[in-house]
Amino acid sequence: MGQSERMIDIASVHKTFVADHGTVTALEPVSITIRKGEFISIVGPSGCGKSTLLRLISGLDQASGGTITLDVAGAVRPVGFVFQEPVLLPWKTILENVRFPLDTSGVRRAQGDKTALDLIKMVGLSGFEKALPRQLSGGMRQRAAIARALSDDPPILLMDEPFSAVDLLTRDNLNDELLRIWQSTGKTILLVTHSVEEAAYLADRVMVMTARPGKLKCVHDVDLARPRGEDTKLDPTYHTLVAQLRRDLRTPAGEAH
Amino acid sequence: MILRGIAGLIATLVLWTAVVHLFNVPAYLLPGPVEVLSRIAFLYENAKLLRHIGVTLWEIVAGFALGTIVGILSGVVFARLPRIERFATPLILLLQTAPKIAIAPLLLLWLGIGPTPKIVLIAIVTFFPVMQGMVTGLRYGEGSFRDLAKVLKLSAWQSFWHIELPSALPAVLAGMAVATTLAMTAAVIGELMGANEGLGYLLSSGQENSDTAVVIGMVVLLSLIGWAFYEVVELIRRRSISRFELN
Repeated sequence: MGQSERMIDIASVHKTFVADHGTVTALEPVSITIRKGEFISIVGPSGCGKSTLLRLISGLDQASGGTITLDVAGAVRPVGFVFQEPVLLPWKTILENVRFPLDTSGVRRAQGDKTALDLIKMVGLSGFEKALPRQLSGGMRQRAAIARALSDDPPILLMDEPFSAVDLLTRDNLNDELLRIWQSTGKTILLVTHSVEEAAYLADRVMVMTARPGKLKCVHDVDLARPRGEDTKLDPTYHTLVAQLRRDLRTPAGEAH
Repeated sequence: MILRGIAGLIATLVLWTAVVHLFNVPAYLLPGPVEVLSRIAFLYENAKLLRHIGVTLWEIVAGFALGTIVGILSGVVFARLPRIERFATPLILLLQTAPKIAIAPLLLLWLGIGPTPKIVLIAIVTFFPVMQGMVTGLRYGEGSFRDLAKVLKLSAWQSFWHIELPSALPAVLAGMAVATTLAMTAAVIGELMGANEGLGYLLSSGQENSDTAVVIGMVVLLSLIGWAFYEVVELIRRRSISRFELN
């Protein structure tokens, strides 16, 4: 992994909304440079602008100011997006859902099938190609959503609280699989989460954001060996970091969030 | 379910026969089921009953198809262009609130006595619930699907074909199921107002000749057609809803 290669450059990006009672700041100016192949976690309470930041990077929303530069060399779809809900099309099978980005960009069916089947295997859904989303559990649907986001091979993967709707055991499994997928594909991943443990376990760097107004408070380097696993969760460094992240998230007035 | 329905039907026929015999009801008021059946058989042999059934069926199928297509297309236009919707809504509401029985003579004046005015009348009543279903289905499509379409940079057509149209399908089919009964009524009204073929025509000539058995026979045939028609649309709706309904 070329650790020095720049992938995403965010310079003074901010977002304000016009509401009934004046303008609301969703995100104060944020600047950060993210390297190619880096895994970034963004952690913070509701209303801290973490989802807003992902939506700005993906182009789903427009920034009120500042610049976002993606070094993606002309990729038509530079980002894959995994939403909080799987957002699978209920009338399409798992295979058709995973293949959907390819079908809609003119890739031939045979090639699309091959790519989609490989990804379905990678996310552990072999045997469910012909199933409809409603026949799958929440965790399985989210795996399918990840496979779909990867299917047209975007260099950047944005994940907005992808595992918040699944139970804790499933979440642990999905975290380990995500790390495996990240290691085998070399994607640059930005993952938004409520969970400081998840943030620390997965990432190279953790962005800590605070609310009212939403802003980037600090960025921590995660000094934990790869590949990560059960041992990581026993590592004192991990616990120190998690404790530090919790302190960072405590608002100055000690408000609950 | 079906067995119980058949049992209910047989019970009704038995009761009907019993009433006729026990109270000696004269045939010009209420003929028994056997007489009605024999009148239907007579019409089948001497009055080209099948041809009349065919005419009515054609009117219903053609009018229903026309109304559905126009309903879906205008639903797309209205959902996309609220300005056109605001412009057209008063006219459409006026057309829908006008008693169909009052529109029918006008259509007959304009389009003659053949199947065409009936087809148009059926299309008018079918169009409305289908259009409403389409507008609702498109307008209240999930925001998360819109995000997906945007991330994937789908064209307007791709997004319509792969996401919006399938999302709207349950609402459209619900509109179509409602339209089946309206379409039956419109067909009969159209034929009663002026026709030289069709079940409504046979019905009105039965009335003119004080032939109660023919009138009852036509009511029964029309009910059976309407029921079958509704069941077919409802079956399609139920089949597809399990696949197309949003979670």
